[in-house]
Amino acid sequence: MDPIVQEIYQSIVDGDQKACAAGVQKALDQNIEPQVILNEAMIASMSEVGRLFEEGEYFVPELLVSARAMQAGMNLLKPLLVQADIRSAGKVVAGTVQGDLHDIGKNLVCMMLEGAAFEIIDLGSDVKPEKFIEAVQSTGANIVAMSALLTTTMPNMKTTIEAFKAAGLRDRVKIMVGGAPLTQQYANEIGADGYAPDANRAVALAKSLLAK
Amino acid sequence: MQNNGNAAEATGKELIFSVLRHQETARVPWVPFAGVHAGKLTGYTGREVLTDGDKLFESLMAVNKLYAPDGQPVVFDLQVEAEILGCNMLWADAAPPSVASHPLAGDLLVPSHLPQKSEGRLPMILDVMRRMKSAVGENTALYGLITGPFTLASHLRGTDIFLDMVDHEDYLNELLRYCREVARCMADYYIEAGMDIIALVDPLVSQISPRHFKRFLAEHFSGLFDDIRSRGVFSSFFVCGDATKNIEVMCQTNPDCIAIDENIDMAAAKAITDRYNIAISGNIPLTTRMLLGSQQDNMKYVIDLMDSVSHHNLIISPGCDMPYDVPVENAIGVMQAVREPDQTRQLLENYHATEINIEVELPDYASLKKPLIEVFTIDSETCAACGYMYSAARRIAEELPGKVDVIEYKITKPENVARVKKHGIKNLPCIFVNGELKFSSIIPSNRELMEIVQKLL
Repeated sequence: MDPIVQEIYQSIVDGDQKACAAGVQKALDQNIEPQVILNEAMIASMSEVGRLFEEGEYFVPELLVSARAMQAGMNLLKPLLVQADIRSAGKVVAGTVQGDLHDIGKNLVCMMLEGAAFEIIDLGSDVKPEKFIEAVQSTGANIVAMSALLTTTMPNMKTTIEAFKAAGLRDRVKIMVGGAPLTQQYANEIGADGYAPDANRAVALAKSLLAK
Repeated sequence: MQNNGNAAEATGKELIFSVLRHQETARVPWVPFAGVHAGKLTGYTGREVLTDGDKLFESLMAVNKLYAPDGQPVVFDLQVEAEILGCNMLWADAAPPSVASHPLAGDLLVPSHLPQKSEGRLPMILDVMRRMKSAVGENTALYGLITGPFTLASHLRGTDIFLDMVDHEDYLNELLRYCREVARCMADYYIEAGMDIIALVDPLVSQISPRHFKRFLAEHFSGLFDDIRSRGVFSSFFVCGDATKNIEVMCQTNPDCIAIDENIDMAAAKAITDRYNIAISGNIPLTTRMLLGSQQDNMKYVIDLMDSVSHHNLIISPGCDMPYDVPVENAIGVMQAVREPDQTRQLLENYHATEINIEVELPDYASLKKPLIEVFTIDSETCAACGYMYSAARRIAEELPGKVDVIEYKITKPENVARVKKHGIKNLPCIFVNGELKFSSIIPSNRELMEIVQKLL
């Protein structure tokens, strides 16, 4: 790996946003391809951060600062990626379901997906089924990611899935779900395409859903 | 029947106290964390029990009667302090409110105002605490639940709190010091109102590393547990989520007990708490078992749990606040498994026996000479709810002498298990009248049962 790419990689793992932005600028100045920076520094480092999170080395604060560092670099990189017509890994509409304001988990999933080069349309919290549908219609997203922390709001995931069916859009999107009270069994019961127990495994799930 | 009334036995409260003093006990105590779920027993919404003192008291008394707890919380709502301190609430019918706004988001301010007894829902809560103390406080250990400093700080500041750990360490320290003062103040009020155990509930602790816990939180928790101990009551440290890595540092803050949920392996956590001689409470899964499982699933979980750990320093409880809609029979099953593990083991064996070669004949319901009340129980002598169910039927027989037949089928006997299966009964206790299921788990009032019987006379 090019030393400057390695520096960017390390700045993200360490959560150092200034070093990340400086590193990306330096790499671009040295004519390193934006896609190389994206794949070998950004995506690779966030994958490592995800691994550390899943293994219990990193916790929420570490994940947030790493994601912030990556974002600082991406701000420089993004226009160049668009210019070079580098496509995202997939387009994800995300939100916590209607009635649920707990968005920490959803935010982490968005950050990790972004770190894996997915394009995110974050609808925030307390999202009504029709909002999810509108977002899919207007953006052409191919994944919907829903989160719920409460046992009383998780049935709204099923309501949303049913709304997609009623709108004739169910076959156009993959629907993934997560949140503390959820299980794979529950995801199966409500007709979701997948369930992930944490932010890192949500990335693997999103990739596998699009590979199908 | 109410909550260990037998004078020869230790009361539930004494059992809990013994566990928190780290002494041996004759059996493992149980504490149902029935917060909003208490309202399900009385037909009130979660919001009603969290805002109306009379409804809360009535519901907590129903919990005390039906689930025969050794200890019980008076209010399970981590938003009480936040509401007083200016957070807006989003209320729901079947869950505690959620914090909808964070007054310190975007500003590095530290408030100074401490909650007063006259503010927010505190007058109602303190009143219900006193009423519970006087009604059941002799036999039941009462828990006063306080929002832990980290979770309270997050209510005030929002998710910025996590970045503050990196960006604004000094500010965060000051904010946490303030939140500790709020907790100390709340503990004072709750102790004064008669609470036996003060639980600091800090679910967010599971989201940070042991390093950050030691750096920012340990001092405050240690201080609070010392304060609580100096007031002559017990303490517990509740966490939710996968706080496996933090159990050790939590122990080092020296609470009397640590309460965990199903995200943490109880046996592994207990190996750590035992090293510190701290009690542990947990960890019946809230969704997969309590909310969505069957009565037998819940009994089995408790038996397996109790078989997997030593009974010293142990309290059986749900992983956290029970969902509103937990079927009543599931909590009854848990209670029975904790109180009568040997009998429950036998019962599960009977239940899961692939073939019970016992033929039972059901009564000819169409040609009964008088109404027949059949009470199906786990065992009315050992299961509080079963005892109440059977008493409800007996009372009708006493009021209508010779006009109604009452029979109890305890599923401690294999032939009665066969009868239960033949009827397709899923949950116990329940009452059939003339062969029809009329009441399941919830005890009928005298009037309700009498009305049904009188129509058949």
